[in-house]
Amino acid sequence: MGTITVLWLVLLILMVSVGGSQGISSYLGLLINFGILFISVVLMAFHFSPIIVTLVSSIILLSITIFWSNASDNASSSAFFAALVILLILVAIILPIENWAKVGGFGLEDSDELEGLSTLVGIDFTAVAVSTAILSSLGAIAEAAIAIASGLDEIISQHSAILPKQLFFDGTIIGRQIIGTAVNTLFFGFFGSSLALFMWFKGLNYSLGTIINDKVFAGELIAIMVAFIGVVLTIPITTLIMSIRLHNKQKVK
Amino acid sequence: MLKVSGVKKLLVEVILAVVFCLAVVVLASHDDHFYTQPIFQIHRVINGKQQKVVDEFHNVDHQTDQKLTGKIINGKYSGRTLTIQNTYSDSNAMDHKLAPGQKVFIALHTKPRLHATVKDLKRDVPIAILFAIAISLLLIVLQFRGFVVIFSILVNTLLFWLAIRINERTNGAPVILIFSVLAVIFCALTLFLVMGWTKKMMVTLMAVVGSTTATILIMLLIFGFTQEKGVYYESMQYVTQLPKPLFLAEVLIGVLGAVMDEATDIVASLATLKKEKPEMSRMQLFNSGRAIGRSIMGPLINVLFFIFMAETFAMTILFLKNGNSWGYSFSMNMSLGMISSLVSAIGIVLTVLLSSLFAGLWIKGDEK
Repeated sequence: MGTITVLWLVLLILMVSVGGSQGISSYLGLLINFGILFISVVLMAFHFSPIIVTLVSSIILLSITIFWSNASDNASSSAFFAALVILLILVAIILPIENWAKVGGFGLEDSDELEGLSTLVGIDFTAVAVSTAILSSLGAIAEAAIAIASGLDEIISQHSAILPKQLFFDGTIIGRQIIGTAVNTLFFGFFGSSLALFMWFKGLNYSLGTIINDKVFAGELIAIMVAFIGVVLTIPITTLIMSIRLHNKQKVK
Repeated sequence: MLKVSGVKKLLVEVILAVVFCLAVVVLASHDDHFYTQPIFQIHRVINGKQQKVVDEFHNVDHQTDQKLTGKIINGKYSGRTLTIQNTYSDSNAMDHKLAPGQKVFIALHTKPRLHATVKDLKRDVPIAILFAIAISLLLIVLQFRGFVVIFSILVNTLLFWLAIRINERTNGAPVILIFSVLAVIFCALTLFLVMGWTKKMMVTLMAVVGSTTATILIMLLIFGFTQEKGVYYESMQYVTQLPKPLFLAEVLIGVLGAVMDEATDIVASLATLKKEKPEMSRMQLFNSGRAIGRSIMGPLINVLFFIFMAETFAMTILFLKNGNSWGYSFSMNMSLGMISSLVSAIGIVLTVLLSSLFAGLWIKGDEK
């Protein structure tokens, strides 16, 4: 058996024993997410527009991650709506930045791997870099939105008469606690996945100026900063959506 | 509560943030003399005729030659006007379409006369503006906590850089040892900044260190059992030393943030629970911890999964376009990302167990 197969099996056993049926649905969610990511890559290779493929798959990926989580209906639909709004804001930030910094494609550090490969393949790699930045932020946005929406939903279920304004205030406080640690998840993920690149820079004595302007490094940095901005934005946007929905619900009553 | 004063305060903060971002852009676009590499600002671009290129896999692309006229703006030859050749393709994989106003780094040649070639684009302004936006948002939304978050990231970055220096000095021999020690320091420091020096923090730290160690051991066990079949270290990028320990260190550092995030959540919730209901038994606490963990582990696993997988996109597409099968393209580009994601996922699930267990054993409910 291959290593990847055994890892999937061990993960299945662990997730079922810890999470029961919820564990199974999270596990299936992960498998399906991988399937969607792989299909997206193949579609891009078939010359479908990377940006459109990414937007469509992002919406599917967000709905799977958010609706298959354990959150209540109110929390997950608010979280999903908030995640969509943030996705749009991020696209508006990423498109000009990527076109300005032009981090698409490959850098000098990739030369070894590119040996023998044709790079003139007629696919817009700047657009692929936009997809990379959007997709790598999706998980973090979904996680933060679910956490904040669930926290607020808990408050609503305990004090059903709470005023929307008070809810917004509480949400900001809950959000601050959650985001403080969520930011670490992102940064360690980034440090870990760029460890080899940093060692390369040190080994070849790159100066700070060279590192900041380096295509590969700038690309990774932009992706992580965008995810970071997305995560911070989940606090006001999720709380705002929850308070508006609460306001509407109380008006109906 | 959102009173008039709150709105006014927010408005002031937003105006300050905009001023800050603008200032950063102005500063960053005037930093040319800090660079030792010659920088060239493009004033005029004349595009040549587009040429169709077809490679051996029948991929169609178009190449265009550009004649760039502009000035060198720093260093010894500052002020000299030059004309430089550039070629770009539709795919932009290894080249750039350049436009007037852009700044590029160039390689200068003085023989037989002064001429130059384009090395790379200057990217510090977009990077700086992104940083400015992120910092402003963080401070507006998180207020004082924002400073703590920024401080914690700064210190962690410094430590990380220090570890890389030590690694370089020792030629990467004890890479696992260096990054294991670093991991423990990272955790202790970050958790201290989040929770303060409390018993809760100690319990969380134990849970994080315990589950990360267990994860790495399980990973090594599985690697040994399957004799690393399907682990293509040769596909690792930017490798300057022995790949296997480097990969281990990458996974170790990568999973740390997620595990801390989760353990903090579980231990803090269980401490509150025990305080409210002191009669809860250890078993009941353990089960409540599992219930909390069950709902956060799925989304958390996805956070790392997307980070590890998305960065493999460009190379995978290139492999697919170079006539490789889906399976080979996956193995050579995405398989290591998938292994990191799966190992991290195992770590995240183990953290649910260990933090519930430790909180059940050691949290008495009278902690501050």
